[in-house]
Amino acid sequence: MITTPVELKKIGQEKFKITWADGHVSEYTFRYLRQNCACAGCRNEMTGERTLDPESVATDLKGLKVDVVGSYALHFSFTDHHETGIYSFNWLRAICPCCRVTE
Amino acid sequence: MGIFSKKEDSITEASVLNELRKIQDPDLHKDVVSLGFIKNLKITNNNVSLDFVLTTPACPARDQMRDDAIRLISMLPGVGNVNVNMQAEVAQQPAINRNAIAGVKNVVAICSGKGGVGKSTVSANLAAAMSRMGAKVGLLDADIYGPTIPIMMGKVGAEIEARGNLLQPIEAHGLKFMSMGLMAPGDKPLIWRGPMAHKALQQTLLGVEWGELDYLFVDLPPGTGDVHLTLVQSIAVTGAAIVSTPQDVGLTISMKTYRMFVETKVPILGIIENMSYYICSHCGAREEIFGHGIVADAAKKLQIPFLGEIPLDKTLRENADAGIPLVVKDPQSPITRAFNDITKNLAAQISIVNFQTKPLEIIEE
Repeated sequence: MITTPVELKKIGQEKFKITWADGHVSEYTFRYLRQNCACAGCRNEMTGERTLDPESVATDLKGLKVDVVGSYALHFSFTDHHETGIYSFNWLRAICPCCRVTE
Repeated sequence: MGIFSKKEDSITEASVLNELRKIQDPDLHKDVVSLGFIKNLKITNNNVSLDFVLTTPACPARDQMRDDAIRLISMLPGVGNVNVNMQAEVAQQPAINRNAIAGVKNVVAICSGKGGVGKSTVSANLAAAMSRMGAKVGLLDADIYGPTIPIMMGKVGAEIEARGNLLQPIEAHGLKFMSMGLMAPGDKPLIWRGPMAHKALQQTLLGVEWGELDYLFVDLPPGTGDVHLTLVQSIAVTGAAIVSTPQDVGLTISMKTYRMFVETKVPILGIIENMSYYICSHCGAREEIFGHGIVADAAKKLQIPFLGEIPLDKTLRENADAGIPLVVKDPQSPITRAFNDITKNLAAQISIVNFQTKPLEIIEE
């Protein structure tokens, strides 16, 4: 699976779009990204199982800021002030809403 | 004037550039004119002069390219003197966060799967060799478990000064360095949990007045841990070189380090075999203590560049202990030659990575 992005686009405070090197386009709402946070507070560090109740994330949650982490990941700041997650490009491709297989 | 003026007229910028287009950069696989290496081309009467600007002063093909340029231009009819001035302008890693580490063009991680493979000795000599070739070089000793760079640079117990809120690097043997070892002088250990290691790396990487550097080498602790993660999260590292002994690769420990960099999208610049063999100082016999050539085979299998090999040698260790890198102390030694070759191969790989890397930017819509 290709996990190299060629374009990263923040669409207002609602959505984030990644175009991958193989041409696939993934579009995420910031709420969906928040629900899929991979930080140790939202996911069991050992099993990887989600500990965050996805429905507990406010329906009007928005994205404030996006930063690139090194060469391999993104960092999001959300309107609920949660900002501990580092979203690797591998993870972002794996949770692409249109082709996700698990969970 | 007569027939001679006609000949002189035929030397034009276009005709010179057409000849130079026949020269390919062996690493970037493009001709040197398209790559923008040719600058200040001047044709005065029938004499040609130009600057040939390479992507690194440690370019392995430097002499070859200069000779080719002179030969090709001299073959044009009517050309008199040809003056090719070789220069170098190191390219900046396109995605490096300029705010974080303003004047540093490339951060190069030196790592190993386990301790004791001679990573710091290799780092110190590579950095010194690169500096001797004309590059501006820094060396960050990030090995919290065994920071030995102050010893190898002859600066044990040097005091770190701060100007404003930036630490001043220590200068020795033509390069600037900073070491976590200087934060706990003498025999005091650095007993740090993850968050402290994280802070210490950020301070010694981003909180130092490095000035303008072509290459900043980071001598990492062995294995994979907090310091590695902080490094790859703080900046876009140009690439990583792995130092390995043959028996380490046999145990596939270096592969863990390799995979960590692959996971975090840090390009692997190549692998160096240290302690490759031993030449007996009494009888001159060559002993391949750890098995020779295993690293080169592993590199081939993984399709990563093999940068070269360094023998196990007493003078290398003695000079490291005496505070002067062997490449500085004895420029004619065969070990220095080995380091020079590795340095050139490494510089070539860095140029290739920078040529291929596209900056990652977030577009707001």
